[in-house]
Amino acid sequence: MTEQLTHQTEPGTVDGGVLVADDLSRQFGSVTVIDGLSLGLEAGELHALVGPNGSGKTTLLQLLAGIDSPTAGAVRYEGPAAPRKIGYLPQRPSFRPGFTARETLEFYTALVDTDPEGLLDRVGLADAADRRVDELSGGMVRLLGLAQATVGDPPVILLDEPGSGLDPGMRRRMAELGRELAADGAAVLYSSHDLELVEAHSDRVFVVDGGSIVDRGAPDSLRGAYGVETLWDAFEAAVDSSGDLDVIGVSDS
Amino acid sequence: MSDARQAVQAVAARELVTVARSRAALVLFVAVTLAVVAVALTGSSDPRYLPTTVDLLLPLEVLVPAVAVALGYRTIAADVRRGELDVLETYPVSTRGYVAGVFLGRLTALVVILGIPLALVGVVLAVTSTDTPSVLAAQRGVDSPLVFVRFAVLTLLYALVVLAMALAASALARSRRSALVLAIVVLGFVVVGLDLLVIRGFAGGFVGSDRLTAVLALSPTSAYRGLVFETVISTAIDTDLRQAVPLFNVLGLLLWTGLSFGVTTVALSSR
Repeated sequence: MTEQLTHQTEPGTVDGGVLVADDLSRQFGSVTVIDGLSLGLEAGELHALVGPNGSGKTTLLQLLAGIDSPTAGAVRYEGPAAPRKIGYLPQRPSFRPGFTARETLEFYTALVDTDPEGLLDRVGLADAADRRVDELSGGMVRLLGLAQATVGDPPVILLDEPGSGLDPGMRRRMAELGRELAADGAAVLYSSHDLELVEAHSDRVFVVDGGSIVDRGAPDSLRGAYGVETLWDAFEAAVDSSGDLDVIGVSDS
Repeated sequence: MSDARQAVQAVAARELVTVARSRAALVLFVAVTLAVVAVALTGSSDPRYLPTTVDLLLPLEVLVPAVAVALGYRTIAADVRRGELDVLETYPVSTRGYVAGVFLGRLTALVVILGIPLALVGVVLAVTSTDTPSVLAAQRGVDSPLVFVRFAVLTLLYALVVLAMALAASALARSRRSALVLAIVVLGFVVVGLDLLVIRGFAGGFVGSDRLTAVLALSPTSAYRGLVFETVISTAIDTDLRQAVPLFNVLGLLLWTGLSFGVTTVALSSR
């Protein structure tokens, strides 16, 4: 694990890293979804993004991935040259029906001229390689989505709720895969409502509420800062102190 | 091979495989083959190239847009709906590269679906025609395989233009239903809409008879029909009557193709 950020990092400041968001804002009409948010993702670290439903996590991930454009601010990639700089797993991954898992990955790997071998194995789908994607379970589709996100070994990997809708075992597997990707040198950011897993596996946590980062730091330092026992308590305290309390949509399961 | 070219090739291959595995596309192919062969065999008692071309022209003016729209109207809209286009944004694939790949893949399928029935008719004519010349003559008054080959090439060109229009409609669609509605609009627009507008303009005096051939070139179907008359039928029939100005018609078809690619690219870039 690399050096942990201390809790004292001011919300809104820019960290260094391979991917840097600088004073990012995104408005949809008169609604501000992301409001002057800054963060940096470090290579070799597993970062978690937690926040109530509607706090802007998905929009932030899309802005970081370059899928959406900010109304103000900028996202800078500061990592090494790579055929694919950022890997992305959407919240609801879906693939063209009629193709097998192997063929699906062959398509994506052809786009960056890499070998699909090993990708399915890494996510535990080697046995389902010849099954059509429309015959895969929801969890398997998500694993295939994770394999897709790693195509071309991007230095930055963004995962939008990779464990959503999965059973506890599969969720743990997802977290472990994120851990492995970070250990291989990637800067991994994933959003999650599962604070127990976040606490157990993440190097750094960004707490988002109302489109801004209300706190950030290693799970230990967040707990210590609020003098609480669990990350869940620290999360509640962080969101409470942001003055924008809305934790109804957040579950700890 | 450059990265961009490889990406276009990968997208095109995926489109082609998608169509090849589609049961609906197989049904479409069988239906088109049966329709084309049936018209060719029953439309005229004279199994020669020119009469068969004339017999096929009108049915193909409807059949070609229907097939092109059926093949193209949903592909981009489905990729958008599934979120695959979002994922592709993280790959080194430009919007133009993606559009080019989708177009090339679907066009290849379209050429197969329309080309095989036409080739089949050509073979049947070659076997059954009693006065087929041994040389591919192109001079006036001579029926030859070249007449039919030209007709087939123009038909595929017409299909290409309508496919580009169908992809533009697909890129503009925001849902499965709107994709279907836009497809019907494109089909109606191509098959009758533009021609009706021209006729109305002519009847209302907005389009003078001296400009009629030029204005007709703006309708893909009229442009196709005009090219067939001028470069296929007129070569075999001695007539001074000008149905179209081929240059205008080619420019008209190019205009619709370019416009459609522009709309597709802008629609996807500004999502």
